[in-house]
Amino acid sequence: MEQNPRPKTILETCGEEITRIVTPVSICMLSVVILVSVLNRGSSLDDGLEFASMATMAYSESSSDSIWDKLKGALLNSLVFVAVVTAATFLMVLLFYLKCTKFLKYYMAFSSLLVLGFMGGEIAIFLIKASSFPIDCFTFAVALYNFTVVGVMAVFMSRMAIFITQAYLVVIGVLVAYWFTLLPEWTTWGLLVAMSLYDLAAVLLPGGPLRLLVELAMDRDEDIPALVYEARPVISDAGLGDGVVRRRVWREGRGDFDENQRLRSDRVPDSSLRSYLYGESESERNIVDAENGRALGGDSELAAPLMQHINIRMNSLENAASSDNLALEGIGLGSSGAIKLGLGDFIFYSVLVGRAAMYDFMTVYACYLAVIAGLVLQKTDNCGMAMHRLKFQYGMEQSNLRKLRVKTVELLLALRVPLRR
Amino acid sequence: MDDDSRAALSNLHPVAGAGNLLPTTDEASSSTGRSVRIEWPTIDGPLGLSHEESLTYARRFFKLGFLFLPFLWAVSCFYFWPVLRHPHSHQSHPRLRRYLVGSAIGFLLFTTVLSSWALTFVVGGERLFGHVWGELVMYNVAEKYGLAGWI
Repeated sequence: MEQNPRPKTILETCGEEITRIVTPVSICMLSVVILVSVLNRGSSLDDGLEFASMATMAYSESSSDSIWDKLKGALLNSLVFVAVVTAATFLMVLLFYLKCTKFLKYYMAFSSLLVLGFMGGEIAIFLIKASSFPIDCFTFAVALYNFTVVGVMAVFMSRMAIFITQAYLVVIGVLVAYWFTLLPEWTTWGLLVAMSLYDLAAVLLPGGPLRLLVELAMDRDEDIPALVYEARPVISDAGLGDGVVRRRVWREGRGDFDENQRLRSDRVPDSSLRSYLYGESESERNIVDAENGRALGGDSELAAPLMQHINIRMNSLENAASSDNLALEGIGLGSSGAIKLGLGDFIFYSVLVGRAAMYDFMTVYACYLAVIAGLVLQKTDNCGMAMHRLKFQYGMEQSNLRKLRVKTVELLLALRVPLRR
Repeated sequence: MDDDSRAALSNLHPVAGAGNLLPTTDEASSSTGRSVRIEWPTIDGPLGLSHEESLTYARRFFKLGFLFLPFLWAVSCFYFWPVLRHPHSHQSHPRLRRYLVGSAIGFLLFTTVLSSWALTFVVGGERLFGHVWGELVMYNVAEKYGLAGWI
């Protein structure tokens, strides 16, 4: 480990953070494009397959219908889908309100089991059929079982290597996105538009379920159980003079008091800036969590990303942190919270790009560029705002720290504690 | 006064109070030359588990792996790679290492058995198995039970 690394510039830190989120999104999109081109299903030419699912309950599209019929059918399908998703989200709000968080967690684990096990198995079978790979059923069963169980554990049950967790989240995104590309064409486009509008409504309107969910979570200082991709935080120990690497906590929920009480106390003296940022990314995360707090396995989230900054508890966090801040070693400048992106965004972008892959690769490229540009701009904006607050906060914190340091030294002297041996 | 002062200091400083998270002086590694002192038992470094939690998790992974989950053993070895890699360091955790070595051995055994069976199946083919091969291969099984159609 480096003792005194060159302090990273804001640009480098931001850039690295953005790269760490753009990479998995790109991998997800690429995988869906590959799957779509290899399996070549659901193209507008191939309408012989009966694809009955929840999303096509109201109307099954066929190529013989006129454009107007298709449009009406797509609209109907989208409305039905949005209605089901709204109902599911309200149910989730109710359960969260009644503090059935454990039940929600188990339900999420169950739905990721379904996605990984059943959808993963199906897609694997498609691939095996397409390539005539001579694997036998026992090996396949064992492999699928392993893959699924470890996936569920990685995502929901226990702490596991960050790489494994991230990989499994991307895989879940790929599988659900591929499933969505199997829908008929007009229905897919209708769904994408409808889900974007629904998301706007659900988050912004005062009665919207996502807003309620976020407010509940904020009031109780709890985590919504949800599928959120978290990149590794960019650790820069510029401010730590003697090379002490403090233990950061990854994916640390704010509400897990029993096991994490000690860990929270580890985290706080790290920097009040960082907890400030954590507060901010918690707010983002709560929004994004809310978007993805809905159940998977059919009612999947095709949410357009809405990174709003709700200034929750900024002041309370700041006060608590500065009073706890006995960081004698100084603040870790530039150490920021992890950057997060909801899995719904992954799925949304991948469905878009996957659909485009059914036409032409130039379309794919254009869509990809548009998505990446939007994502980078959004994240840079977040980053910039965070850094701006950081700088402002840093100035204030320096003076606070100096006062605290003086006070601590005085206290220790008063207790006749020798400071140095 | 020594203990009191340290206790007072650790009470004031939450990080220092958290036991072995601060690096202590490196007596062991300086004497044993090349051996590295493991600071963090997991591959995630400071973002991973602490030393105490690692034991719990390693034990859990080891025990769960017996449910036909060699992948879990592999993941466990991957996760605690620093402990596996540096057996003679300052905080070498003999108990943790035992679970890890067990996981590694289990994974290798299971994989050998499974891959030998799979390779026999692929290479042997019809000549070795006769008509049973057609009944065991996955794509036929999927056709027979209609597994590919109910997405």
